[in-house]
Amino acid sequence: MHTTRKLVVMAAGLALTTLVAACAAGNAGKIGGGSAVKGQAIKGGTVTVAEVAGSPNDIFPLLPSTNSNGFNGDLTLGLWPWLAYSGDGGKSIVNPQESLFSKLTYSDNDKVITIALKPWNWSDGVPITSRDFTFVYNLLKWNYNDWFGYVQGLFPVDVSKVSTPNAHTVVIDLTRSYNPTFYTDNVLAEIPLLPQHAWDKTSASGKVSNYDETQAGAKAVWNFLQAQGSDMATFATNPLWKVVDGPWKLAQFLSSGYYAWVPNKNYSGPDKPVLSKVIWTPFTDDTAEMDTLRSGTSLDVASVPLNDIRQIPALKAEGYSVAQVPLPGVAEILPNFYAPVAGLLLRQLYIRQAMEYLINREQIVKKAFAGYADPGNGPVPVQYGQQWDSPLEKAGGPYKYNPAKAIALLKAHGWKVVPGGTDTCAKPGKAADECGTGITAGEPLTFTLLFATGTESYNEQNAAFQSTESLGGIHIALKGEPFNTLVSTTGTCNGQSHPAATCDDWQLEQYGYNEYLMDPSGAGQFNTDANGNYGGYSSPEMNKLIDATEYGSSNSAFFAYEDYAAEQLPLLWLPNESDVFVYKSNLAGVTPLNPFTGLYNPEVWYYTKPAS
Amino acid sequence: MQSEHATAPEPLAALPEGGEVTSRTGGRNLGLHDFLHNKRAMGGCAVVLLLVLFCFVGPLIYRTNQITVNLNNANLPPGGGHPLGTDEYGIDILGRLMVGGQSSLELGFAVAIASTVIGALYGAISGMLGGIADAFLMRIVDTLLAVPTFILLLIVASMFTLNLTTIILLLTLLSWPYVCRLVRAQVLSLRSREFVQASTVMGSTRMRILFRHMVPNTFNIFIVTATFAVADSIYALSALSFLGLGPPPPFADWGTMLTYGVNDLFDSYPWEVYPPLIVLVVTVLAFRQIGDALNDIASARSSIR
Amino acid sequence: MTWFLIRRIGQSAAVVVGVMILTFILVHMEPGSTARAVLGLKATPARVAIFNNTYGLNRPLVVQFWLYCDHVLHGDFGISYSAGQPVSTLIAQRLPRDAVLIGISTVLALIIGIPMGLYQAIHHGTLRDDIVAGTWFTLYSAPDFMEALLLIAIFSVHFHWLQPSFPGGITSVGGLFADPSALVLPVVVLSINSVAGFSQYMRSSAIEELAQDYMRTARAKGLGERLILTRHLLRNAVLPIITILGLSLPNIVAGAVIAEAIFNFPGMGLLFWQSALSHDFPVMLGATLIIGVATVLGNLAADVAYGVLDPRIRHAV
Repeated sequence: MHTTRKLVVMAAGLALTTLVAACAAGNAGKIGGGSAVKGQAIKGGTVTVAEVAGSPNDIFPLLPSTNSNGFNGDLTLGLWPWLAYSGDGGKSIVNPQESLFSKLTYSDNDKVITIALKPWNWSDGVPITSRDFTFVYNLLKWNYNDWFGYVQGLFPVDVSKVSTPNAHTVVIDLTRSYNPTFYTDNVLAEIPLLPQHAWDKTSASGKVSNYDETQAGAKAVWNFLQAQGSDMATFATNPLWKVVDGPWKLAQFLSSGYYAWVPNKNYSGPDKPVLSKVIWTPFTDDTAEMDTLRSGTSLDVASVPLNDIRQIPALKAEGYSVAQVPLPGVAEILPNFYAPVAGLLLRQLYIRQAMEYLINREQIVKKAFAGYADPGNGPVPVQYGQQWDSPLEKAGGPYKYNPAKAIALLKAHGWKVVPGGTDTCAKPGKAADECGTGITAGEPLTFTLLFATGTESYNEQNAAFQSTESLGGIHIALKGEPFNTLVSTTGTCNGQSHPAATCDDWQLEQYGYNEYLMDPSGAGQFNTDANGNYGGYSSPEMNKLIDATEYGSSNSAFFAYEDYAAEQLPLLWLPNESDVFVYKSNLAGVTPLNPFTGLYNPEVWYYTKPAS
Repeated sequence: MQSEHATAPEPLAALPEGGEVTSRTGGRNLGLHDFLHNKRAMGGCAVVLLLVLFCFVGPLIYRTNQITVNLNNANLPPGGGHPLGTDEYGIDILGRLMVGGQSSLELGFAVAIASTVIGALYGAISGMLGGIADAFLMRIVDTLLAVPTFILLLIVASMFTLNLTTIILLLTLLSWPYVCRLVRAQVLSLRSREFVQASTVMGSTRMRILFRHMVPNTFNIFIVTATFAVADSIYALSALSFLGLGPPPPFADWGTMLTYGVNDLFDSYPWEVYPPLIVLVVTVLAFRQIGDALNDIASARSSIR
Repeated sequence: MTWFLIRRIGQSAAVVVGVMILTFILVHMEPGSTARAVLGLKATPARVAIFNNTYGLNRPLVVQFWLYCDHVLHGDFGISYSAGQPVSTLIAQRLPRDAVLIGISTVLALIIGIPMGLYQAIHHGTLRDDIVAGTWFTLYSAPDFMEALLLIAIFSVHFHWLQPSFPGGITSVGGLFADPSALVLPVVVLSINSVAGFSQYMRSSAIEELAQDYMRTARAKGLGERLILTRHLLRNAVLPIITILGLSLPNIVAGAVIAEAIFNFPGMGLLFWQSALSHDFPVMLGATLIIGVATVLGNLAADVAYGVLDPRIRHAV
């Protein structure tokens, strides 16, 4: 009954993408505006959006590492947009109108970035300057270990120097050269600008000063802002949060999760809001949300869980239009390479291959996700388009559903295959036609899949997984747990550190998907020391290929990484669901939805009067 | 659910002198004749019997594959080999009703028997002991009763992943206090009866009195409470599943079947909603009818002077 | 009478302590690490240690319990993990709303249930009695959530007469009445549960009273039926209802979890459910404690009322 869209943010390392800074300038597509609503635009109006199974609990844009609540982004992005605004017209490119920079130049062999800031103002009239960037950099420099958005080795540790030649220019010296697309898309697109003139203080009654320039001061400011940022009772009243540079201001926030935006009258950007208010109203699960939609009254925009897709015709009759948007990320079954017995099995590539051959992804897309899902052929979803989808992935990936191949593979490695039963190892040993290192004679090929309960589509998917795996004699036991319980037993493992005490208990896990940014790179997930590499996958070749995508600028490097990952199966690939939305038909500007910014850009929405 | 429905045994709790039962009517004979001739009670029993047959004998006759998931067959309407259609996993619904019913009925019976036995023993012993021991034991019971059952269920369900056994244990734990109170009240009122005093004078130990006299006279309470306990526990499990805290798939019982179909109430797949709903309501209704009829018999007999 | 009161109050206090122990044990039964569940997959061991320190989770259980009791007696129920706010604030916001909702439902149930019970008692054994009893029995046996959803399907979805869920921006109790059409269905669903109970008690109680000698005496005296009904029957038969009212006080506090979940009503029940789903133990613990105390008070009130009204009870335990 829950949507898991927000669960996702938990898992991801920040993938990176650089790209398109140059392309974006030329490709200035209109954001939104694709909706074919006819009629005259009306000024003002209130839109009510449904917020299901979660709500924000922190308003400070740089979230602490312990706060993985994806709803916070929904709250803060409208108030403090990213430096490089992700997503334009639904495409994975930087949006030039809403970004805070007017020009981005990489020079000196891509080791120096020169950022020209737009001459915008904060909502209190003070200009946005390069000092605001150094404020962010200083805070993060001394507190990055406490920042949720930190990816091992990237910003701010990869910066050797930041200088501000003038009030609107920032020059960043990096410690090494990076792929510009990667850096812009995945690093600069995760940093907001923060008002140094209002927030550089260490206490509510204290004065603003340059505290951030010293280590102690930066820590004090960070702690102060984090404490203020988690005080839900004051989100709407604290003077700190009234200083914004985005199109919206927060007018009201209740502890139930209900909150309201009103336009920031001093917004400097071109997409000034037409609506007079946007309200988010919370629902604990989708039953109440669907009921409200069916009665057609108080909700204007809402998501529809995939197992309720068949209610769409009824919703259309209530005056709603439907839109769908693929979610940027990869859905997977996560293998634990360090599980005591199962880990040895999972380390064998041929076993993972057999398991992947036995997943009928097409059927899962059609039946469990009602057709609204990415096929899941490899690490990159097809929505990313031409420059990211290798021909191999587009053709269906290396492991299309094929039980015969799975059985052949297992037999070729010395397994006694019992379709419908459980395979056992007939030929233990390390030779090419034997089971593999550490696998004993007669060992059964059986795993327990730990999954997060609450989403019906996932329940169906996992049941189907269990069913099709048994066609090859791989026995899967299903074990469902609430998501929070699952998290607490997963442990802090990665390729480098896998203490037995915490990495022991689970064998396979499924809880949602790992989110990608505009550049669907594997950094943060598949490299050995990645903090998102919970299964402990480690491969020098993979590390090398990921580095090539981060540091080089050739696009063929990306395909090389992608195909290698698709073949090597650090994760068992699964289809990734799309989101389906309904919105009132007289509301224009809602589509195309932007999957990189929490899906909604209300600043370009407006009500229409039907053309007479 | 006990937190939202006033359970019928409560009026007996409010009046500590539970029915006026004399020792002449042995508990086992209490109203058996009346019971057999009570239309409601017999109706309820007939339904229960049918349900038990349906759930336990049914699958032997009507064989379906309840284990293999086949998404290609998902959500098929009734017809073509599936009299009640298939559910979202492609599993035959009629078959699932039978097998799911096994879980529901096992749960109900297990909880009813266990909680009644435990509660009765606890209550009887506490009543017989009297004094400080009794006061202490009853405070423990009061503590358990102070928190609504459903709330405690939610707390535990949020911490542990439930399966049938844990739920049975849990519901037993949460149900026995109710029986205990009633039995103790009965025991207390019986203690002051002449026949017990006579027994004591004649030298019977307390345990002997307990088992020879008290138990038969409290038998009607057992039965009544037990039947209500069956209904309440089946009910509690379905509510828990509805809130998303019940046992995860592949566990099947009527409540979980309902949960998925619930949003389809309006249209689309009515065959996934109405069969489990009807069976659930009929089951709960049947048990409550039996309990209610027994209650009537017991109180009717008690008002015969 | 005083001795009775003192004994009962003493017992109640003991039970409250028992509830505190119970809730404390419950929360510490959680498998896995609370810190990790709350802080997420990316929590570093350092962060976990800070969390455990802040909430005192690394100290011996007895010490933790002592601290917990100390805090509670000062009105500090801890801070919600997900909302970052004091639990007492959250509860204080929601409790009055439940009082209103369940108060209205209970009053409605009494208004319907008592006369219905009397009616059934008077026509005891006839077809009329059976029909009424049968109807309420069926309604009472159907799962709450199904009744609620069916009502929503008919009145909200099909006819668009009533709201299926509560508006979100309620800031005060008065806000509950801002859109009365949203209150109707929750109140009806909650009443259905209680009406059946009240009318059944009223019925059996009234039947018993009707069989009493004093009723025959009253009739023999020539009193009109009306007078008999109100002066004698009603007053005597209503006693069990008082007990049940007292016993339903905890329900106000427990907040009808299912009804609130379906109707998105921002009360204690919904708070409880949300905190169960998100493992927000301080909230669950605080709410359970309040419910436990309310139950004890309710029982005490019911017993005292009953004791006042029925002298026979005072001398039993």
